[in-house]
Amino acid sequence: MKKIIILMFITAVISCKEEDATPTGPINDVFDPTTATLLKSGTLVGIGHTVSGTASLYESGGKKIVLLDPYDSQNGPDLKVYLSKDVNASSYISLGALKSITGKQSYEVPGNPDAAEYNYIMVWCEQFTVVFGRAEIKK
Amino acid sequence: MIINVIVIMIRIATLCLSLFIPMAIVAQQSPSTKTKSIDLGLGVASSQGTLSAAYVYDWNLGKKEKFIFGIGGRITTYVGANQYYSTAPADITSGSTGPGVFFKEDIVENIDTFLIAKPRVVAFNTMINLGYKITQKISLGFNIDVIGFSVGNKTQGNYINGSQGQIVEAKPTAFNLLLVSDNDLGSLNSEFYGKYKLNEKISLKAAFQFLFTEYTTEIAVQQFPEPNDRFRNKSSMFSAGVSFHLN
Repeated sequence: MKKIIILMFITAVISCKEEDATPTGPINDVFDPTTATLLKSGTLVGIGHTVSGTASLYESGGKKIVLLDPYDSQNGPDLKVYLSKDVNASSYISLGALKSITGKQSYEVPGNPDAAEYNYIMVWCEQFTVVFGRAEIKK
Repeated sequence: MIINVIVIMIRIATLCLSLFIPMAIVAQQSPSTKTKSIDLGLGVASSQGTLSAAYVYDWNLGKKEKFIFGIGGRITTYVGANQYYSTAPADITSGSTGPGVFFKEDIVENIDTFLIAKPRVVAFNTMINLGYKITQKISLGFNIDVIGFSVGNKTQGNYINGSQGQIVEAKPTAFNLLLVSDNDLGSLNSEFYGKYKLNEKISLKAAFQFLFTEYTTEIAVQQFPEPNDRFRNKSSMFSAGVSFHLN
């Protein structure tokens, strides 16, 4: 009886909704970095997950753009792109859902923040509050 | 929509509770049968669940002893996955405190979100039980936690305010207190239940459970309209359990 109750309890708790996985098809956004000013850039490193590529912060037409090019990672639920002030994402701007787990992809940064304050670009599994990968971006 | 209905039900029940408090005094002064029981319950909902254990001391009131008034203590263990917590304090959610909050709608623009991947809360509360015996075997009732404390590990959560956010640590709010509506503090459990008496020792219990759990962030992450570090999750779930009658 005790085992049945524990099993029911665990089943109920871990029976999550269907995972909101990121698209897997290759992407090639049209953003042309040669027409923009590179502010900061860094290499993406996986944190407990497979993530690789280059993350850059550009300014173009008075807007800030984050570019992941190249980009490759394993898939996961609810992956988001964050522009963060520090390594712990204790203050970040969400750029929205990761468009694809592979290929060149650009994200407009809302609010046009001061680039000097933001030092990390992160791929974050929001649902589980887990960082997938990050790049420390520098001039 | 369902949550709103449940909140209204809880509000009505809370009002009823205040009307029934004099029953406690009557119960102690008038002859009545007293019963003691231990209730064990398992509540489940999508990505969350509870285990609860309660000791309840009931007075059976009225000529036919059909009315039940009881007090007791309850331990509720809450486990969830990827649960969204919302701004808790009534002065932010409703723009005021006091009993008037009962009738006020939430101010949507004041309510921010705190996402916790693995909320785990253990709440120790005193509780009040109200019931009515429909037959010798079937009774219906409502119980609600009143005051107590909560424990739980510190955990990381994601404060989300539009496109802005912060990853911060939080702990279950330590002090629990039933007040009115969003004035409540901490983690409080309540149930609308039905019991079926199998024999003199055991009853089966089915309940609709409504549970508040609350976390306090290590810093006041919310700044508008005023600094706030308290976030509440309102869970509704069905539960099943057993009552062991001790006399």
